[in-house]
Amino acid sequence: MRPVGFSTGLLADGDFHRGVRLLRERSVPVIELSALRAPELARLIGLLDGLDLSAFSYISVHAPSDLEAGREGEAIARLQIVRGRGWPVIVHPDAIGDFRSWTVFGELLCIENMDKRKPTGRTASELAGVFDRLPDASLCFDIGHARQVDPTMNEAAVILRTFGGRLRQLHMSEVGAGSTHNPLTASAIAAFRRVSHLIPDEVPIILEALVSEGEIETEIARAQEALPAQQVRVAENEIW
Amino acid sequence: MTEPAGETTALDQLRQKLGREWPAIARADRAAQAMRAQLRGALRNLDSVDTSIVVFGSLARNEWTSKSDLDWTLLIDGQADPEHLTATQRISDRLAALDIPKPGRGGVFGKMAFSHDIIHRIGGQDDTNQNTTQRILLLLESRAIDRDEAYDRVITQILHRYLLDDRGLIYGGGKYKVPRFLLNDIVRFWRTMTVDFVYKQREHAGEAWALRDAKLRLSRKLIFVSGLLLCFHCHLEMPAEIRRSLSENSIPVLVDHLKKDVQSTPLEIVAAALLSSRASGQTARNLLDAYDAFLAMLDDPQKRGRLKELRWEDLHADPTFREMLEISHQFQGALSKLFFEEDPDLFDLIKFYGVF
Repeated sequence: MRPVGFSTGLLADGDFHRGVRLLRERSVPVIELSALRAPELARLIGLLDGLDLSAFSYISVHAPSDLEAGREGEAIARLQIVRGRGWPVIVHPDAIGDFRSWTVFGELLCIENMDKRKPTGRTASELAGVFDRLPDASLCFDIGHARQVDPTMNEAAVILRTFGGRLRQLHMSEVGAGSTHNPLTASAIAAFRRVSHLIPDEVPIILEALVSEGEIETEIARAQEALPAQQVRVAENEIW
Repeated sequence: MTEPAGETTALDQLRQKLGREWPAIARADRAAQAMRAQLRGALRNLDSVDTSIVVFGSLARNEWTSKSDLDWTLLIDGQADPEHLTATQRISDRLAALDIPKPGRGGVFGKMAFSHDIIHRIGGQDDTNQNTTQRILLLLESRAIDRDEAYDRVITQILHRYLLDDRGLIYGGGKYKVPRFLLNDIVRFWRTMTVDFVYKQREHAGEAWALRDAKLRLSRKLIFVSGLLLCFHCHLEMPAEIRRSLSENSIPVLVDHLKKDVQSTPLEIVAAALLSSRASGQTARNLLDAYDAFLAMLDDPQKRGRLKELRWEDLHADPTFREMLEISHQFQGALSKLFFEEDPDLFDLIKFYGVF
């Protein structure tokens, strides 16, 4: 079974205590503490010592996606405590202004591939430009974004073949035409299965959909169905 | 097609190898690039992540001449939005302000085109002549003017559909790995163009017949040939390790490979085939000399005008028409040499796939 958990963002709407409790009660082993909106980061950092995260085998933190110029340094300073704990920091490439200042995170910095609304970071070639500037960074592969950018999953396969060695965690949801994160449908599951053989079993999956408390287990089961555990295998017939 | 990054092209290599220049081809290439640059400026902000302004025909093929029509569509791959029609009308208005000739009369261009129809309706009653035309021309002679996200997605999805549904390609045990579903649609499109040529002859009472004849014999035949080569390249260039174990997992790499040809121009695809095949230098010269002469003729206002105005009863005594015929015969002769005489691999494939 692949390790599957949730982001606290849509699950608990910024209420970190509630998000942690919902997942701990269900013995979910993986959590992403989401501070997508800039004010949430300060609140999260202030709460960290009070959150009981001992039950989780994998913890990551999502950095704000709306970093204004001048606030980037402040966010990086706040995230040092996360770095000190050895937790990956998920960052949107278009939120980065000063690439050099993020290199301090080394491989704990996880660059996320973007949805089609964003100006960069959507495809393997666009990600290559980001990793050129952050050579130690890891990849947070948002499989829903990749499907929105290319529903055939060809681009997803290219990203995974190109940057599979950097893969640290997954984001998973059904990303709608308006870039909203929704529960997985049969279509999304069928699409994601087409690249499951390129994703190692041990890579944590973070679900990002807006679901009710009663739907948490169902959504985790859907994720397991979308990416059935199997040995990673890039066959000769996938390289031209 | 996307804008090339300035690397040496197959045509450049042939120029060097054969010590030959094709001035009309070079002029048309420069004119196309200049026109697209002008359009990028004029049509700025009318496309988006979900819409691409796509040009077809001579402008996409890099064969722009002084009286070329501009065939375009607003290609939509995203949520329905009433503003798409407004954007289409603005494109039309801005092109009119530039005094650019409107698209031809076929009704295929100068409006919106939707990815859903193009991708889902391959074959069957709903795959109209217009839908097939848009789909095949997207693959063989199209180019996004500026934002190309929607365009690129649609191209990928079209190719993906042709390959995913081609059971023979993925699971068949035949010795050739040619995407036959795609090939058959390209052949169907070519045959449809030849049938529609006669339909238009009747519908338009012979108007501009000789000009359409010239285009059918040369530029339209060229895109068909480039489509054949695109499919044949899949077999000819496929590495042995991929051939040995084709599966659905191979589709992304096959799509990527086909996209390289799709991003090229028909003339480049043919030039690359002339370079990589066993075609003689004489065949390459004949083919490109003929095509150069054809473009020179289209760029000559007098000759183009003459072809456009010629009446049926005056055709065979007319020196311009006779010149066009000679050019087309030279072009056809070179193609026959390439496919049927000089290159054994292409000969094998054309025998196997060309008719039955």
